[in-house]
Amino acid sequence: MAEEFLVAKELHKSFNEHKAVDGVSFTIHKGENFGLLGPNGAGKTTTIRMLSTVLKPDSGDVTVAGHSVKHDSDAVRDIIGFCPQELALYEELSALDNMVFFGRMVGLDGKEAKAQAMKHLEMMGLANRAKGKIAKFSGGMKRRINLAIALMGDPELLFLDEPTVGIDPQSRNNIYETIEGLQAKGMTILYTTHYMEEANRLCDRVAIIDGGKIIALDTPHNLKSQIGPPDKVTLEDVFLKLTGRSLRD
Amino acid sequence: MNRAFIVAIREVRTYLQDKADLAFSLLLPIVIFALMYFAFGGESLFHGTVHVVNEDEGGAYSAVFLEQLEAIDVLDVELLAAEDADAKLEDSDLLMVIYIPEDFSENLASGEPAQLLFKQRGNGGDEGQIVASLVYGVAEQMNQEFQVYSEVNSALAEYDIPRERINIVTQNYLDQERASPVIGVNEQTVGSSPDPVNLFLPGVVTMFVLFAITLSARAIVEERRKGTLERLLTTRLSVGQLFMGKFLANVSRGFVQTLILLILAYIVFQIFTPLTFIECLVIALIFAAAASALGMVIAAVARSEDGATWIAVFFTMVMVMLGGTFFEIGEGSALYTISQFSINTYANSAFKTIISEGGSLANLGLELGVMAGVAVVGLVLSRILFKVMPGGK
Repeated sequence: MAEEFLVAKELHKSFNEHKAVDGVSFTIHKGENFGLLGPNGAGKTTTIRMLSTVLKPDSGDVTVAGHSVKHDSDAVRDIIGFCPQELALYEELSALDNMVFFGRMVGLDGKEAKAQAMKHLEMMGLANRAKGKIAKFSGGMKRRINLAIALMGDPELLFLDEPTVGIDPQSRNNIYETIEGLQAKGMTILYTTHYMEEANRLCDRVAIIDGGKIIALDTPHNLKSQIGPPDKVTLEDVFLKLTGRSLRD
Repeated sequence: MNRAFIVAIREVRTYLQDKADLAFSLLLPIVIFALMYFAFGGESLFHGTVHVVNEDEGGAYSAVFLEQLEAIDVLDVELLAAEDADAKLEDSDLLMVIYIPEDFSENLASGEPAQLLFKQRGNGGDEGQIVASLVYGVAEQMNQEFQVYSEVNSALAEYDIPRERINIVTQNYLDQERASPVIGVNEQTVGSSPDPVNLFLPGVVTMFVLFAITLSARAIVEERRKGTLERLLTTRLSVGQLFMGKFLANVSRGFVQTLILLILAYIVFQIFTPLTFIECLVIALIFAAAASALGMVIAAVARSEDGATWIAVFFTMVMVMLGGTFFEIGEGSALYTISQFSINTYANSAFKTIISEGGSLANLGLELGVMAGVAVVGLVLSRILFKVMPGGK
């Protein structure tokens, strides 16, 4: 059985009176791509923020490679990479400068940060734009840089929070291929998305979260099997069946 | 290298990359300086113009009178036609004109008194009053010289000396007397010179440094909006290091801008010695630190960039007004007590002590202590008040 790499136990988080996350527990195995799906406001982002040490849980804990996010967050930060939903980039700086800066923040020295930045830019097909200003990049290029920055420091666990929002099919495909390449190398990934076909293609297991609770957790195949023949139903059918069709915004 | 420094360097690089921002922030001190220069430039004392209508054209004594007016360094003499002068007075284009009457020289030559006419609107304005007193001085001097001529002529009346000869000798004597008067006046300035620049420069500098509050206040909310804050918090960068990096960048930026202003003042107005210049830089640095730290407090509690900007602008304006930038606040008043809560008060006082009063850093224990204290407390407070997610525990 694969090694447990991330273990979330009974996570709770409230903002004022609102329970954003209400007793979430799951495990991600080493080398697994774990999908966290849910409608808007379901608690995905808050969960990821707790897993990635940005927010402290009100109760419960998360361990990553045996390190507690509550008690040993620095050790956790040493082994994670984070790609937020937003294009978290400094528009006035070049792609290379952005990457080197975040590389320095994860503990690389200047030379190492530059070498890694060039390697990841090459992987993203952006090596020839290394010195271009982010402000002049297309949406797809920015998304790729956003992901490339998360790879600085060669993390063991990667958090990808909707990494393909609003981009063209070519850029999306490039990101898919990059993620598949990372999986092949044994990287552990936590992936959130609203595109169900994306989760179906990339994720080994999927957790569906709603109202701050995990309401389903299994492989895409098994989840689909719960409502019909897996080759006839889609993950989106499962998602809508479990979370309902009412609008959330 | 410490991550706080890397953040600070990244901030500075971002600032240097934004050409419009860079041009504005570097040009601003130059523009402010240029305004000061044109307001006070090169004139350390009063300089005015006396407008004269000379109806005694060709008259010997009116010529002497005008010559003596022109000999006054701080006074320019502008001759006008009577109709022109009357029209300008009527339109308030001029507030004071001096008329030399037609019979001015004739009367004086015959030993009769002569009258100058001062025409003015209202009280003639501030400049008019100063010009008038200078003109009175010239008239008084001419009166005294006439007195001398008269006395000498009376004393020598019984001798058979031609009157022209007496007058020439007397004239020579008076010329010598003017060149090397019995009673001279030497000016000695204690500390630095009482230039208007000295009086206004501290306020302009402190107001300028206070812009750092707005820049700092936006620093964190901007990171939050862009999503870079969240990303940074998943790295080994601590919130304390992030705040310190932002703080250092804003202090550097405010300091460099002030440095430009002070260097220009040093070169053009020559109001500093090398020592006082360095002392002013120290004050600017500590004040920039205090202002930036206050900005960080606003940054820690503001929910949006606009909110941060408006809070910072409000604080800046209140501190500028209370800090004695535009007007002196007398001791003992309620306003004076309130002004003690403005860091501008201490910065202005420190700059004035160095620039206008000839003091040194050793005299500025209170001022420097308060500003440094505000910097430290502001930084600590901002860290305490900061929440990664507003509303969270």
